[in-house]
Amino acid sequence: MAHLGPGKAASSKEQAGLRYPSNGKTIYHRPLNRTKTAELSQSSFAYLFSEMVTYAQRRVTGIQELEKRLNLQGHPIGLKLLDLLLTREPPRSQTRPLTIIALLHFIKINLWTHLFGRQADRLEKSSDPDAPDEYMIVDNEPLVNAYISVPREMSQLNCAAFVAGIIEGVCDGAMFPARVTAHSVGGKEEGEMWPGKTVFLVKFQPEVLEREALIGKG
Amino acid sequence: MFVTVFALIIINKAGGLIYNRTFHEGGLHKISTNDYLVLAGTFHGVHAITARLNPLKPAATLNRTSTSSSTTTTAATGAGGGAPFARPDPPSGLEVLETENFRMQCFTTLTGIKFLLFTDTTQANVDLTTRRVYDLYTDYVMKNPFYQLEMPVRCDMFDRKLGSYIREINNR
Amino acid sequence: MSYHFAIIGTQDNPLFEYEFGTSKQGGDGQARFSEQAHHLNQFVLHSSLDIVEEVQWTNGQLYLKVIDKFFTNYISCFITAGNVKFLLLHQPTATATAPGGGGSSTTTRSSTSVGANPTSPQTEEAIKNFFAEVYDNYVKAVMSPFYRVNMEIRSPVFRQRVAAAGRKYL
Repeated sequence: MAHLGPGKAASSKEQAGLRYPSNGKTIYHRPLNRTKTAELSQSSFAYLFSEMVTYAQRRVTGIQELEKRLNLQGHPIGLKLLDLLLTREPPRSQTRPLTIIALLHFIKINLWTHLFGRQADRLEKSSDPDAPDEYMIVDNEPLVNAYISVPREMSQLNCAAFVAGIIEGVCDGAMFPARVTAHSVGGKEEGEMWPGKTVFLVKFQPEVLEREALIGKG
Repeated sequence: MFVTVFALIIINKAGGLIYNRTFHEGGLHKISTNDYLVLAGTFHGVHAITARLNPLKPAATLNRTSTSSSTTTTAATGAGGGAPFARPDPPSGLEVLETENFRMQCFTTLTGIKFLLFTDTTQANVDLTTRRVYDLYTDYVMKNPFYQLEMPVRCDMFDRKLGSYIREINNR
Repeated sequence: MSYHFAIIGTQDNPLFEYEFGTSKQGGDGQARFSEQAHHLNQFVLHSSLDIVEEVQWTNGQLYLKVIDKFFTNYISCFITAGNVKFLLLHQPTATATAPGGGGSSTTTRSSTSVGANPTSPQTEEAIKNFFAEVYDNYVKAVMSPFYRVNMEIRSPVFRQRVAAAGRKYL
């Protein structure tokens, strides 16, 4: 463990090169819960997200790379929200998710409510016996796709890859490393009811399942 | 059924046709895509001319009481809007075109996009309908990251929402 | 009572360190570690990470209480949702190993002070409050758009906040 900073005793010495806001208020002066119930304009988000997709699209070689970039844009958000949402829990239920189910419930309920104002529509475990590490979070109408029509030549693309990145960030942060991908399934299963229906496929790394088995035993 | 929306045409600010859709068979005769392009271009030209024939509304009709000398300038600047200091509305040009069998309403956005709505002659509240179509356009076309400005509109979501909105009107 | 507080990232990398002494019972808030102890403390804290990794999967709480002891050094741990560890090494002055420390004169009164008995409920509660306040500020640091996970926390404001929490509870 290396020493951090030169002066251990002279702790509050101001560091060069740091600028403060003119009113002297930093992020540390803001309460954590003030924006808990705040809402923001869906239009402003739609324009911002549209620009994010356009930005991610620059000089990409394929749809996979585009989805990868959207995923990377979401990842740090997931890591940050994990800590924020847990501090906002009432102290009694303030526990770290220790099992896959607890983690997925946290995502389905807390994360979704915070981001989209409602819970995710469904949570499923893969019925394929060869893939016990796969779980699915279903959203009938992803908010990020509300105004997006994907051109026919890019039909493989689902811009909710951004949300998949957020989920992946939450999983990684909570020490459940996983790969999360977004897939459009609208129009296939339940007809035209939910044309934008999206499944987030969460595939956990083998070590997560190993640990899960060990915890189950002990 | 007497009240019907027949078709919608969207023209970009250069006069190019970017969207064209028929909602009700039998309202208008089918014309070829090429003819639609010509129609859009021609209307664009006519519209430009009508907008220049008399660009500003006469001040007197709006502010007849302004007789004192101090308010004369006010009346001139506030010619377009109701408020005295408001900027006058840009000249709207051709707004309605009516024939025996259909009525065409033109709505121009601030950015110069024209929505042409072809309806039955008895159709009521066309203003409201064009407004709503414009709303759908701003939502499902302008917020779509894959739409390029001034290019033909190919957005599934816009098609779907527009279709269900017009169907609702036509079935009323 | 002297304290050595450290925030350890997910890759067992140090993000923040701070040494202080008690401010209760007339303490001056200065750490009384010996010269060698500075390095030893880091070693002791780091070695307790193995135990954290065992305990963290059996207990979903954020505050794991005292998890390790090395001679007179007690290590309390708090683990965040994002798997970042807050470690606090506390060393009761009464039995201080530090030769130069002002321990002998405080022997009598430290028996009643917070932390005289490192595993007592009062001490646990005080440390819990300290951790909770630091956690609040840590989350704020994380929410900064310029911060990424596992970056060293350099903000002087954060350091001031940790110092204030130390004065308040310990």
